[in-house]
Amino acid sequence: MIIFSGVSLIYPTSTKTILEDLSFTVSEGELVLVMGSTGSGKSSLLRLINGLVPHHTGGILAGDISVNGISTRAVKPGGLAHLVGIVGQNPLNGFVTDIVEEELAFGMETLNLAPDVMRKRVEEVLDLLSLAHLRGRSIATLSGGEQQRVAIGSALVMHPKILVLDEPTSALDPIAAEEVLSIIQRLVHDLGLTVIISEHKLERVIQFADRIIHIKGDGQTLIGTPQEILKSSDIAPPIVELARALNLADISLSVRDMRRSTERLRKELQEIELSTPSEPVPSSRDVVNVRKVSLSYGASPALREISLGIGSGEIVAIMGRNGAGKSSLLRAIAGILKVNQGAISVCGVNPLNLHGNERTRTIGFIPQEPSDLLYGQSVAAECQAADKDNKIAEGETFALLQRLVPGISGKTHPRDLSEGQRLALALSVVLSAKPKVLILDEPTRGLDYAAKNSLSSSLSEYAASGCTIMVATHDVELVAELATRTIFIADGDVVADGSTVDVLLSSPAFAPQVAKIMSPAPWLTVKDVVEAIFTTR
Amino acid sequence: MNTTAGIYSFRARSLVVLVLASIASAYCFLWPFFLNAHSPAHHLNNQIFSIVGVPIALAVLIVDISNKRLDAKSVALLGVLAALTAALRPMGAGAVGIEPMWFILILSARVFGPAFGFILGLLAMFVSAFITGGFGPWLAYQMFAAGWVGLGAGLLPQRIGKREIRGRLEVALLAIYGVFAALLFGLLMDLQFWPWALGSQTQLSYVPGASVATNAHRFIIYHFASSMAWDVPRAFVTSMLTVITAPAVLFAMRRTKRRASFQTPIEFKASKAALSNV
Repeated sequence: MIIFSGVSLIYPTSTKTILEDLSFTVSEGELVLVMGSTGSGKSSLLRLINGLVPHHTGGILAGDISVNGISTRAVKPGGLAHLVGIVGQNPLNGFVTDIVEEELAFGMETLNLAPDVMRKRVEEVLDLLSLAHLRGRSIATLSGGEQQRVAIGSALVMHPKILVLDEPTSALDPIAAEEVLSIIQRLVHDLGLTVIISEHKLERVIQFADRIIHIKGDGQTLIGTPQEILKSSDIAPPIVELARALNLADISLSVRDMRRSTERLRKELQEIELSTPSEPVPSSRDVVNVRKVSLSYGASPALREISLGIGSGEIVAIMGRNGAGKSSLLRAIAGILKVNQGAISVCGVNPLNLHGNERTRTIGFIPQEPSDLLYGQSVAAECQAADKDNKIAEGETFALLQRLVPGISGKTHPRDLSEGQRLALALSVVLSAKPKVLILDEPTRGLDYAAKNSLSSSLSEYAASGCTIMVATHDVELVAELATRTIFIADGDVVADGSTVDVLLSSPAFAPQVAKIMSPAPWLTVKDVVEAIFTTR
Repeated sequence: MNTTAGIYSFRARSLVVLVLASIASAYCFLWPFFLNAHSPAHHLNNQIFSIVGVPIALAVLIVDISNKRLDAKSVALLGVLAALTAALRPMGAGAVGIEPMWFILILSARVFGPAFGFILGLLAMFVSAFITGGFGPWLAYQMFAAGWVGLGAGLLPQRIGKREIRGRLEVALLAIYGVFAALLFGLLMDLQFWPWALGSQTQLSYVPGASVATNAHRFIIYHFASSMAWDVPRAFVTSMLTVITAPAVLFAMRRTKRRASFQTPIEFKASKAALSNV
């Protein structure tokens, strides 16, 4: 179906070889996962398949790519539109119309299909992706998972033989991600669709992949079955890290297989009395104080009489479905949203009354899209502005940035940075003011494991200096790694509030992989397991 | 060697069409001075020419500039900027001559070139007529005049000798051009409106069949009377907005131009060995 023979790629503006001598064949009905760290060329590889690279971007392409017998050098991307459906990283960027049904029909309009064919196919896809009840809805009002399904649907209506997905679950909560992936899995099995998918959150997709292409970033590329690749790759999901830590001979990719192969070990460990790792509870929880806060957008309530208190040194994860009210709560605490009822105080002050420097020293807020904070025309300009605003020595912010993510050139435009680098820049600008409360909204979107680790270690370090951190996230693995306390919000209400171990273990959908495998033992991360075994032996 | 699709540019043939279309529309602007339009039939001919002839000339030109080598990104760029410019136009409506659209047109043309500026001017005027309900015989004139403003901004020199014009010098150049363009647009609009504006009785009215000197004299007085109210505020607002926004907007647009990789070379090589020779 897709044949890469000796493909190398260089962009005209850089001297770095993105891909070097890459050859592989994807046959019909395969689901291939492309993995690699940020900026390694995953998106380039995906775009090579439908010819956007190099026809749209320029560049030097050596070797040949043939898609269903058509060489991409011979046709423009438009000539492959009926064959390859592509869904970008952020589905919202790809939508043209406002209504679900219209969006589904749009691609077919441009391919000039007959109206009766279009009508039939729209119905098919609505059923296939369980979108029928959303057909008349405005796309903007859909949840993240629903939007992603609409985006996949609008690619599918053109009856492509190949579906290319660039990080389809990175913005989704675990349940919505599951839903999208199971639909993709069904398409592969029922329709024989060929799917190429790139994803950072490997733990979500690894069990569905037939093969993996691992782009190493230095031009090297490995191709093989998941077991082969993951045995030695530097990027690995927690399940594989656990298998490696336990020295298991075979790498299992699903929780079920892993539970089977660890059965004896778990029994052994069960016999020994285990001490539950417990986090110290701070003496007072009054740095952030939320009392009976309600908030609604028009008629729909976002928060219903929420009360909570958070102390210094705590790292609190706020979890919940897309649209549960996580962002609303964080924005209210940051003083960006005005609440309808109740009171919020941060360090004893109503956040709405904080202004100027006093504000930046009390609350640091990083929104979902970190570039919303970045106005400068270069990284250096951004850092200098932060130095000046916070009256600290020149170069301090830039030094902080280099510590978080080494090797960013000061001359780069903030929007040209990778997702992880941009977050690091926003984080260092905010941290340079040394806020007492740091609030992050969905920080791990588009981050690879390395960037996530560096984020989580720098946040832990910051919390250890006596500051409070609140993180809204869908990333259970990050929560397991980082948070001391987890608050679960559903439909504007606090459903669970307690130590991370208690909350995560009590809900199967939000439990991290390691917890699912080692259940009922109270361990969340590979580190927890290794430490427990080490102390018992 | 192949390249990715280019941005709008004039080729030899479209230059010819541009010149012909410009002559046609110049005639439409200047007819009061040349024609002895005593007979009603003649008069009607002129109106028909302006209503039918100019749009046809414009259509031919747009088709010619925008055919063949365009792809999604140049169309998208033009569409977004035209929509933005058009939406900005009625922002200042109600106040005299204050239309905060010209600075975007001038800055875009500066970055993306004369052909782009010309089409952007045409399209922005056309689209803004949808927003403001400003359809009428004057629309073709407005479109052409805005096209010329964009064309002129695109033709401003990019370098003196070997030095590129950037930074403050560039902002000053664009601000001065903004004053000039706003006044020119006012002059052209007065010119197309003047014969109909005042009836035939006043001291400043168009006199059919009178000498060029007489009519020119009357027109110039009329123009200065009206331009005090419209063109001077427009020129002031345009150059002010240019000075304020130019550094950020030019930077953002230049970055867009670079990122969109127009006319970037595409090469296909047989194998990796060939690549190492690059």
